Amino acid sequence: MKAEFINPFIGAAYDIIKRVTEIEATKGELSLANSPVRGDEVNVVIGVTGDLKGQIIFCLSEATALVFASRMLMNLTTETFNELAKSAICEMANMILGRAVTSLSERGYFCTLTPPALLLGKNVVVSTQVLKFLVIPLETKYGPITINAALQEKQA
Amino acid sequence: MQTIRVGQLVPGMILAQDVLIPRTGVTLLPMNTVLTMEMIRRINSFSIDEVYIKVPERSDKEKNEEILAPVMAETHEKSVAAVERVITNFRKDSFTQEAIDGLVGDLLEQVEMDADLLLNLTHMKSYDNYLFSHAVNVSIISILIGEQLGYEKEELNQLGVAALLHDIGMLKISVETWRKTGTLTPTEYQEVRKHPEYGAELLAGNMSSEIQAVAAQHHERYDGSGYPRGLKGSQINYKARIVALADVYEACISDRPYRERLTPQEAIKLIVANQEGFDPQILKVFLLTMAIYPIGTFVRLNTGEIGKVIRVSKNQPFRPILSLYFDRQGELLGQPIRLDLSEDVNHLLYIEETLSASEHKKLSERVATAFSNRPWG
Repeated sequence: MKAEFINPFIGAAYDIIKRVTEIEATKGELSLANSPVRGDEVNVVIGVTGDLKGQIIFCLSEATALVFASRMLMNLTTETFNELAKSAICEMANMILGRAVTSLSERGYFCTLTPPALLLGKNVVVSTQVLKFLVIPLETKYGPITINAALQEKQA
Repeated sequence: MQTIRVGQLVPGMILAQDVLIPRTGVTLLPMNTVLTMEMIRRINSFSIDEVYIKVPERSDKEKNEEILAPVMAETHEKSVAAVERVITNFRKDSFTQEAIDGLVGDLLEQVEMDADLLLNLTHMKSYDNYLFSHAVNVSIISILIGEQLGYEKEELNQLGVAALLHDIGMLKISVETWRKTGTLTPTEYQEVRKHPEYGAELLAGNMSSEIQAVAAQHHERYDGSGYPRGLKGSQINYKARIVALADVYEACISDRPYRERLTPQEAIKLIVANQEGFDPQILKVFLLTMAIYPIGTFVRLNTGEIGKVIRVSKNQPFRPILSLYFDRQGELLGQPIRLDLSEDVNHLLYIEETLSASEHKKLSERVATAFSNRPWG
């Protein structure tokens, strides 16, 4: 997996998290893992087609997701992961993807991304089309958000 | 059909002819394609100067709006006038619920017809005598919240009536005081704070105890910080908690003698910043109903275009339907482009920012002038 098409996702996640939640994220140690991706309490799955193929899966705990959601909702206190919190997390994913697609196109990769699918529960297991995937942990003071990227270039 | 430079393409525009990859003759995008952000980027990556777009046909829904909007605007105005008549001629001994039931019946009908359009229209108008337009609009917003809470017709009617009459105690306060543009003197302030009790007294005997309670308690706050009695949580009548929220929102987005209106989103922010004052369940329903980007909010997309929120999407408070008016260079479009952010094809578009109150004012005026036939969107 090339850094060239992974970096836009990391950069976008970092930027959007910082801008909308005012929470600083730091990149942890990257590692490679084998399919399937084992989820956390809150998982956002996005399919990628076009010049790149595969999936991007964001995983985070419910407590972390609630902090992010609250910031998206103008600091509304949400004690449960309700409809408002869910819509806020999906919107954050949309924003990260919208940003990532823009920088991918600037690098000459044109992709179509599916709308984010929200999967809840620690038992979520996602089999990826690409067998090896990259695990990118972003650390925040409210807990980590892990980006699992299983992407490959379309075979010419 | 219209030629347009690729730099001015806006998501939602429809191709009138195939777009070909230069020097190859290969079709990049076929005619009738509704452009998305990714497609526009794709077109931009080739050396294509111009493409042909077509004037989108009005959907049945839009044609319907054209017929409905003037009718609703007129009905709304009539409601305000009728409420003014009923409230100013209010006599304790002659007042009956029937007189007001008819008024609320009209409002319920309008909300049922097209609540979004109604909010959009009520929002564009400024009344001299805000006491009565305020009563009508608070009633509309309360009904909307009530609907989402699952109220049946009879309950909705009660809520609507209570909301319509919530400020009736203001009648006992001198017109000079509540229309004053400057700061109130301590005496005037004390007087204004008595209007909930005055209201309850006026309604006693003629109206249900619940309607009296709403008048008496609409300035109470969930955390006990309100007035006149400093009631808390479940001590406050449930409908009064709904009306309290609708009352604050409506007051914020309307011009007042002493200040200009906030944008709908600023109003939402202000409410959330003071969330302790409101019932959290009602606040949640309110945010899902009015949305994070409420109707009437001017927003800038991540791709740079500017539009106005004209409809909210059920349970998707971040994904409204916009009417785009300006391209990413800030040029007015030949005609507004309707863009539904809740549609899957548009999920990579998002609202980058909402525009300030002063920009709202300028943009509203430009839009109303340019598209005077359908200023609502």
